[in-house]
Amino acid sequence: MTLLRATGLTKRFAARGPLGVKAEFTAVDRVSFDVGPGETLAVVGESGSGKSTTARMIAKLMDPTEGSLEFDGEDVTRAKGAALARFRAGVQVVFQDPFSSLNPRHTVERILTAPLVYQGIAPNGSRRAHAKELMERVGLNPDHSLRYPAQFSGGQAQRIGIARALAVNPKLVICDEAVSALDVSVQAQVIELLRRLQRESGFSFVFIAHDLAVVRQIAHRVAVMSKGRIVELGDTAQVFGDPRDEYTRTLLAAVPRINPEWDRRRRERVQA
Amino acid sequence: MSDLLVVEDLTVTFPTARGPVDVVRSVSFTLGRDETLGIVGESGSGKSMTSLAVMGLLPKGARASGSVRLDGVELLGRPDRELRRLRGDRMSMIFQDPLSSLNPYYTVGLQIEEVYRAHRGGSGKDARKVAIAALQQVGLPDPERRVDYYPHQFSGGQRQRVMIAMALVCSPELLIADEPTTALDVTVQAQILGLLAGLRKDSGMGLVFITHDLAVISSIATRVLVMRQGEQVEYATAEQVFAEPRHDYTRMLLDSIPRIDDPLDEGVTA
Amino acid sequence: MARYLAGRAAGVVVILLLVCLFTFVIFFTLSPDPAVMICGKTCTPERIHQIRDALGLNEPFLTQFFSFLIGIFAGRDYGEGANLVHCAAPCLGYSFQTNQSVWDMVVERLPVSATVAIGAAVLWLLVGIAAGLVSAVKEGTWWDRAAMGLALGGSSVPNYVLALALQYVLVVQLQVLPFPQAVAFGDDPVVWFQSYLMPWVVLAAGYACLYARLTRANVIDTLAENFMRTARAKGLSPVLTMRRHALRPALTPIATIFGMDFAALLGGALITETVFGLNGVGKMAADSIAKNDQPVIMAVTLLAAFFVVVGNVVVDLVYTALDPRVRITAR
Ligand SMILES: Nc1ncnc2c1ncn2[C@@H]1O[C@H](COP(=O)(O)OP(=O)(O)OP(=O)(O)O)[C@@H](O)[C@H]1O
Ligand SMILES: Nc1ncnc2c1ncn2[C@@H]1O[C@H](COP(=O)(O)OP(=O)(O)OP(=O)(O)O)[C@@H](O)[C@H]1O
Ligand SMILES: [Mg+2]
Ligand SMILES: [Mg+2]
Repeated sequence: MTLLRATGLTKRFAARGPLGVKAEFTAVDRVSFDVGPGETLAVVGESGSGKSTTARMIAKLMDPTEGSLEFDGEDVTRAKGAALARFRAGVQVVFQDPFSSLNPRHTVERILTAPLVYQGIAPNGSRRAHAKELMERVGLNPDHSLRYPAQFSGGQAQRIGIARALAVNPKLVICDEAVSALDVSVQAQVIELLRRLQRESGFSFVFIAHDLAVVRQIAHRVAVMSKGRIVELGDTAQVFGDPRDEYTRTLLAAVPRINPEWDRRRRERVQA
Repeated sequence: MSDLLVVEDLTVTFPTARGPVDVVRSVSFTLGRDETLGIVGESGSGKSMTSLAVMGLLPKGARASGSVRLDGVELLGRPDRELRRLRGDRMSMIFQDPLSSLNPYYTVGLQIEEVYRAHRGGSGKDARKVAIAALQQVGLPDPERRVDYYPHQFSGGQRQRVMIAMALVCSPELLIADEPTTALDVTVQAQILGLLAGLRKDSGMGLVFITHDLAVISSIATRVLVMRQGEQVEYATAEQVFAEPRHDYTRMLLDSIPRIDDPLDEGVTA
Repeated sequence: MARYLAGRAAGVVVILLLVCLFTFVIFFTLSPDPAVMICGKTCTPERIHQIRDALGLNEPFLTQFFSFLIGIFAGRDYGEGANLVHCAAPCLGYSFQTNQSVWDMVVERLPVSATVAIGAAVLWLLVGIAAGLVSAVKEGTWWDRAAMGLALGGSSVPNYVLALALQYVLVVQLQVLPFPQAVAFGDDPVVWFQSYLMPWVVLAAGYACLYARLTRANVIDTLAENFMRTARAKGLSPVLTMRRHALRPALTPIATIFGMDFAALLGGALITETVFGLNGVGKMAADSIAKNDQPVIMAVTLLAAFFVVVGNVVVDLVYTALDPRVRITAR
């Protein structure tokens, strides 16, 4: 059983060269993968390797140049109208740049309840209560539900994006660097929330991140991208424990670590 | 010679419907030339507001009190006209959210060039060369072509590197970097950290580096400031903060870092 | 890009054909028999039949419609034998009232309407944008409140009230302006200017109020953007910050609204032209409606539709040029 299947997704951007000659740039090159129900697929890799572009294509926010997309057993590559609406109800996205994805003129309450309104779902309780509950879940102060996005910090704005995605009980949530602006303790809390939702309601996640330690904690499978292609795709344990591709090995070797000498001294003091 | 940046008793206040709220309360720190101050802490604890206050760029309505001195000269309360000459030239800042911090209507080339031309003058041609070199320096592939791209044509990490290039173009003495590497993969991140460390050594640039990645802090910071709910809970050398943290919050932070070598809690093979 | 343009052009043609059909249905089949109107009081049934024949009104509907279309593109003939009249290529028929070629009437009056529209547009853009800009920069000050209060009040004053008031004060009471006359620019520039001044002001007033409020709102939103903070962080001069970083994002949406407003005006400013007795397309429309001069009504409707539809395409093209994010880059 698969929830989402991408086959040969390709995206080429036409750039206007000198003299109007068009140069083409292949941002995503024949990428295929699938995501099962209740599964978390992490996508890691080079900056500019096409992760966000892939995310936009599987969220149907951008049409692929080539390739096809299946969701819930249905081909949605060219979905329109009712089929597209069904797809939209099932798939939510948390975007990489939090402020650009929140309407600056709407209050948080309005942002959080808008998805319900679009899809004609009645919230349990009043709108305000619903928004406040969502805010609480992601560790935001519910008293701030009438503030505007600009009145929040970067990490707080990011959590508004997460709360919005969770508002409608989607089947698949695509998280593009969704926890990168959070401090480690809030991050742990949000990740715990995502996992609990996955256990309870069977959400699937496509989780794009640069923090490999986080990826290792929450992903079932990992896809490594470089220069528009998936260079390695495997179980988390395999990719981290026994990386096959050269690029994956470089990546793992470059993960910054806390000065081990300092870390050791701290642990010793804790034990003492 | 005096310290590059001295911040004393900095408080930032926002008027809200329920009366004034201090989002930064009595923060003090000192940054020497050739030093890196790492600021870490809770999301929403006032890290960005602290740096905006130093730059004199607080949002409308916010007020800063205390003292901020760059090279012995008080900055708080100075007219914008005078701060303008410093900003982008002697002190510059890399903002947290690169997409919204770049103007969607202009090519990144123009946005980098205009800093250079505002402070160094020179012809458009020179500025363009400088912009291309700056993009090259931050490891952006194909800079001669990408210099004419618009922000939306870049990936998240590429935009972040554009912001970095923009901040470095006039070789500032003070650079405030607000989460500058969150969208970078670890190899590019290492490259950027190397670049910043090099500038610090070669030209004595002082660096304030805000991040949630404590491993990064441990590798580049000389001193560390830990913030929580607008207050500074710990301020000490990096070694002290990491090896002998004094405050509970710092300890809690260090304990919650996900580590790449830890065994996994669900019993999957490590 | 070429493909896109071809697509849009095809769209324009289809829409204009539909408008043709629609107006044709309404004016030629639903309104009173034009032959009766032309014939006047002393009329015999034979005379009516003759007229109907001459106008081609006895043909089936579709034949009439196609004759009309062919007339526009290739010209057509009316009547037969000695009465035959050839109507050359853009043929819109003849006025029932004056027997003048409708196309000639349009060509004669369009410059007047264009003059009114262009002059007013310049005026309302200058005043509206300047006022909105100052209000945005001085948000919350007494200037802002006064200007916006005026703008709000101004947009609710009907055109003709303002026109009559101005005329009464400036022409009748103070006599600083002459009564508007139909003078060509080349004949007497001063009188020309004096004649058009009031129409310009009257027409521009409402738009200026609207544009001032739009500009203010857009500029305030833009000033709150994160990229404005970046511009300040770069140490750019306030003038450059404003001119380059704030104005372009704030005014781009206004450019598109302006395109539509202006296009609509080219089809004639009915009230203003009538009040000031200017012989423009708007007045022609008013007169033809009053006298049920069907060919002329058809022509004005088509003309207005043409400007609006073409204006729409131009606006879209301008918008793509102004906003890099919507430029057509994907194939
Ligand atoms: N609209 C566009 N026009 C042209 N090129 C584009 C466009 N959008 C993205 N690209 C290019 O496509 C490539 C992939 O971008 P993408 O945003 O998918 O990368 P990413 O893997 O998400 O990187 P990051 O980790 O830095 O966010 C980049 O090289 C980018 O410059
Ligand atoms: N305009 C505003 N009005 C009221 N409060 C504000 C406003 N802007 C920011 N704040 C509050 O100020 C506090 C500090 O924000 P700041 O952006 O400095 O946090 P931060 O430490 O940078 O967090 P992050 O790591 O999430 O970016 C936050 O709690 C935020 O809610
Ligand atoms: Mg990305
Ligand atoms: Mg911040």
